[in-house]
Amino acid sequence: MKKRLLLLASLITILFIAACSSGDSDEANGTSNGNDEDGITVWAWDPKFNIKALEIAEESYKAENPDFELNVIENAQDDIVQKLNTSLSSGTTKGLPNIVLIEDYRVKSFLEAYPDSFHEVTGSIDVNDFTPYKVAATSIDDKNYGVPFDTGATGLYVRTDYLEEAGYTTEDLQDIDWNEYIEIGKKVKEVTGKHLITNDHNDFGIIRVLIQSAGSWYTEDDGVTINIADNEALKAAFEVYKNLVEADLMAVHSDWNQLLEAVNSGSVASLPTGNWFTPSIKAEESQSGNWAVVPIPSLPGVEGATHASNLGGSSWYVLNIDGKEEAVDFLTSTFGSNVEFYQELVKEMGAIGTYIPAMEAGAYEISDEYFGGQEIYNDFTKWSGEIPEVNYGLHTYAIDDILIVSMQEYLNGGDLDKVLENAQKQAETQIK
Amino acid sequence: MNKLKQISVYGILIVSSIISIFPFFFMIVSATNKSVDVSSGKLLPGTNLFTNIKNLLATVEIGQALLNSAIIAVTTTVLALLVASLAGYGFEIYRSRAKDIVFNILLLSMMIPFAALMVPLFRMFGTISEIAPVIGIDTLASVVIPTITTAFLIFFFRQNTKMFPKELLEAGRMDGVSELGLFFRIYIPTMKTTYAAAAIITFMSSWNNYLWPLVVLQSPKNQTIPLLISSLGSSYSPDYGVIMLAIVIATLPTALIFFFLQKYFVAGMMGSIK
Amino acid sequence: METTNLNKSIKQKSEKYKFKPKKGLIGWIFILISVILICLFYFYPMLQALLLSFQSGAGVNLQFVGLENYTRLFSDPTFLAALFNTVIFFLIQVPFMIILALMFSVMLNNKKLKFKGLFRTAIFLPAVTSLVAYSVIFKYLFSNNGIINTILMNLSIISEPILWMSDPFWAKIVIILAITWRWVGYNMIFYLSALQNVDESIYEAARMDGASAFQQFFKITIPMLKPIILFTSITSTIGTLQLFDEPMNITGGGPGNATLTISQYIYDLSFEYTPDFGYASAVSFAIVVMIVFFSIIQFKLAGDKK
Repeated sequence: MKKRLLLLASLITILFIAACSSGDSDEANGTSNGNDEDGITVWAWDPKFNIKALEIAEESYKAENPDFELNVIENAQDDIVQKLNTSLSSGTTKGLPNIVLIEDYRVKSFLEAYPDSFHEVTGSIDVNDFTPYKVAATSIDDKNYGVPFDTGATGLYVRTDYLEEAGYTTEDLQDIDWNEYIEIGKKVKEVTGKHLITNDHNDFGIIRVLIQSAGSWYTEDDGVTINIADNEALKAAFEVYKNLVEADLMAVHSDWNQLLEAVNSGSVASLPTGNWFTPSIKAEESQSGNWAVVPIPSLPGVEGATHASNLGGSSWYVLNIDGKEEAVDFLTSTFGSNVEFYQELVKEMGAIGTYIPAMEAGAYEISDEYFGGQEIYNDFTKWSGEIPEVNYGLHTYAIDDILIVSMQEYLNGGDLDKVLENAQKQAETQIK
Repeated sequence: MNKLKQISVYGILIVSSIISIFPFFFMIVSATNKSVDVSSGKLLPGTNLFTNIKNLLATVEIGQALLNSAIIAVTTTVLALLVASLAGYGFEIYRSRAKDIVFNILLLSMMIPFAALMVPLFRMFGTISEIAPVIGIDTLASVVIPTITTAFLIFFFRQNTKMFPKELLEAGRMDGVSELGLFFRIYIPTMKTTYAAAAIITFMSSWNNYLWPLVVLQSPKNQTIPLLISSLGSSYSPDYGVIMLAIVIATLPTALIFFFLQKYFVAGMMGSIK
Repeated sequence: METTNLNKSIKQKSEKYKFKPKKGLIGWIFILISVILICLFYFYPMLQALLLSFQSGAGVNLQFVGLENYTRLFSDPTFLAALFNTVIFFLIQVPFMIILALMFSVMLNNKKLKFKGLFRTAIFLPAVTSLVAYSVIFKYLFSNNGIINTILMNLSIISEPILWMSDPFWAKIVIILAITWRWVGYNMIFYLSALQNVDESIYEAARMDGASAFQQFFKITIPMLKPIILFTSITSTIGTLQLFDEPMNITGGGPGNATLTISQYIYDLSFEYTPDFGYASAVSFAIVVMIVFFSIIQFKLAGDKK
């Protein structure tokens, strides 16, 4: 018994020392704290996209600044949101990064919730160099906080082979509205048996795409006043959604994995989404040559309806801690002003920025055999310049959740005006 | 009649086992498949295992994460078992009204969702970082320390102590064993199955702990396994084959620990001691 | 072992001397470390969370609002929906899971059963499966053209696929199945370990008296395991009232708010929406009040006086 106790005690001691000494080595290496060392620390998600872009930027910046060191900390997006909220609200700056990637829909609420925590970059970048919708998304009034990164410019990914079977070409999809597209969809369904699109009833991305294409959002331009009940674009988007469901043109998936499955297995004929979806389409090599991208259909009967919109996209933000000057310099010399860097980005990983000089320099004129030789990157950048500017405001996701419930009521036969009025009331009481 | 009963018992157990194991089977099969095949729900082993291994090793440092998780889980388990069993034993054997009140108050601590404690706890570790950086933010110790003592485990030990044959202690006292000695020399050896169950449960929850390590750990070299898996799945175009492989690797240690400790759950173990 | 020597003398001695615990300091020493650590890492943050629940605002812009957060709870339709779902899950889940776990542990405690180790491990495995794998698989099993629908249609139980994740009723069922799948084996462990402390000779005596298996179960097993049943029912109460992982990862709280739980709402209020930690804390304490309420009932039912 004594022996065992001794064994136990020594085991505990060893482990505790191990645990502590691994803490010790942190201090020795000095990597535990992003804010008091030479290098710049960044929090970002998606190793294949955002982090790869960072690595390319690091390389480009190192050519001028050989001593520069970039520490990339990789977490899922939801995790970064949690970490950042916890750190910032606790008032503890220890462990904070110098730069953080934040999704455009979310950033206004961060800036509002932690007003002193972010460093303004006004003047460090030339806002005229970036597409206007992106500048609107990353600024409050005339103050710029974000260095823009990728665009979520949307397009309609279509299966040209299915269209052809039903007697259509991509020419027929130019400059149409959703009602016309639904008619085409019915024909495609009849001939091929494939659903026109697939969607997750819990993901309101498609509704956001539709309303932004008409220059509207859940909130007014101030980002706070709820704009649901009298929102013509939102009403039209709800109607389009219901028409798609009732004509049985919308397949339903309930998770990202199933979305990929539906697209890769060829069970849907098209998908309106952001350009970042391209690699997921191309993952299925056997469908090469069967895809094309066209502008999304416009909202029928809505004033100011366009064929361009945005889904997702994010930008870089500098935190107000030691090292901010260096962080700003790094971002502005790469994402903020470097045409060659953007050329590298699209060549290496198909990422499209919102930097206008790069578009003008022809960085995106690359034909892609997978899409039948179409210059898709060029098309997307062209469309990204046409995206209507909106203020994503403070409450995008909170209102999303309210409207998802409203949509269920509407699909179950509720009166649209009444449903939206209720949503408006609920949003107004919930959001103060 | 008896035969029928036996068959139905085996029948229930076999069906339940298959249902229980199915997702496990899917995980292992998927680890050998391409991402596209995982998405389509392929149930047959593929040939992509080596590519997945290569990709996994190329994208993340799974070895480091396994080591970190192991250090955290083993330290937590050993310390938690000791501290909680001492307390569970103390509350039940030296029962008094005052201690019962303290016990009930301690139980309150497991009733609040951890999300509500996170911000204050983080602020606290921010302060600790300034006094004693070795156990401050971004150290493995900072993950271990707040999880050592849980009312859950104290409660578990106390409830089991209610079934502990207390005559054993009196006999020990008669033989002149000290109070602490009674705990270490009589209680611990008698309660092996309770310790085994507690070890499995504690190791498992520490190994899978997500929220607190996520917030308090920053540098990549301190990353734990659940954090690593989550970031693998964060991509716009996740490679499900690789993710499933990582999950299989992450699940094995707990499964193995259970497999080895479950020999303590044999009917009549106590018989040899009584 | 020394203990065996000690044990030998028990029979003679324990009958003569009634067991009397030593009162005083020594008992407090046993619990001291735990009390200190729990105060430090639970009660201190809890107190701060309580103070926070009287404030409201975005992020760090907090203002004292008194009890407003608590009155707001009663007029917040999202909270009420979450409350409703959570209570439903609790009422169905806890009894269902405990009965299943008891059943398995008694089956597996049979000395004559073959392949015990394999069965035990198999039934426990779901508890160790990573949440990521488990949610991917459940979503896949219950997708519109998934295995479950295929099987049910082949058996002609249904004629059209059930839209599991898009139907408010079926989505709740999926969550209940998922929790049951994951946690039965976990609860079984507590019973299995406790069953080892039950003296086999009691069963033998009962069998000699001609007690059936059912009688043995209700007259011996249940009363002997009472402390552990109380333990698992209270921890399961806490687990279901704080339910987060399953709805978050499998249904995302949907369709609509059909599977939204209170914990997921706390998460949304803190991280998904513009953060209002004050209101989120108030919602947390609503959970605490509910758990305390249900726990007291269970302690009373178990008659845990002595």
